[in-house]
Amino acid sequence: MKAAILTRLRSTQGAVGRFLLLAPVLVSTAGCVQVSAPEKPIEINLNINIRQEVVVRLQEDVRDLIEKNPGVF
Amino acid sequence: MNRRLKLIVAAGIAVFAVAGGASAAYAMLQGDAAAELRASGQAGEQADGYLGIVGSPSAALRAQVDSVNIKRRAYYTDLAAKRGAKIEEVAATTACELFRTKVGPGQYYRGTDGAWHQRDGSAPVPLPSYCG
Repeated sequence: MKAAILTRLRSTQGAVGRFLLLAPVLVSTAGCVQVSAPEKPIEINLNINIRQEVVVRLQEDVRDLIEKNPGVF
Repeated sequence: MNRRLKLIVAAGIAVFAVAGGASAAYAMLQGDAAAELRASGQAGEQADGYLGIVGSPSAALRAQVDSVNIKRRAYYTDLAAKRGAKIEEVAATTACELFRTKVGPGQYYRGTDGAWHQRDGSAPVPLPSYCG
């Protein structure tokens, strides 16, 4: 899993590098955005996946709980 | 006697404060504390799985909300232990379900942004991203 992410990151960086070599005319700010963007979404997605799994696992029990205790929920 | 009178007045206000007071009256007949509090507009559902007070709390309102939340906490703790999950995870999952099914039109909910919102007509309550 970690290796997969690393590979993806590395290949992304490679692509960015090639992109920069091929298009040296582009303004430097465009390069900055390209490099910093890939890291954040990967972290956030992992977090959400973990939580979502838990939510899905508990959903049936929670529905049951709500149904059986109408005064509390 | 005085206290009793206050309770009756408070109950009356709660009924008339709500658009569609019939549902509130029904909830009261059922002894349905959580639904009654939601329908009064004084309390709402929070993304953390507990009831919260929307406006400025009176001592009586605070006591009612606390009483419901203590029971919820006990149920969450119980289910979390049974399923090997965290209490917060059970509570958050319950909030997803309550947002979906229990927050009626015009009633209040507090999303992950921490702000209170009023459910607009028949539009569904927006759910936190992890609700799935």
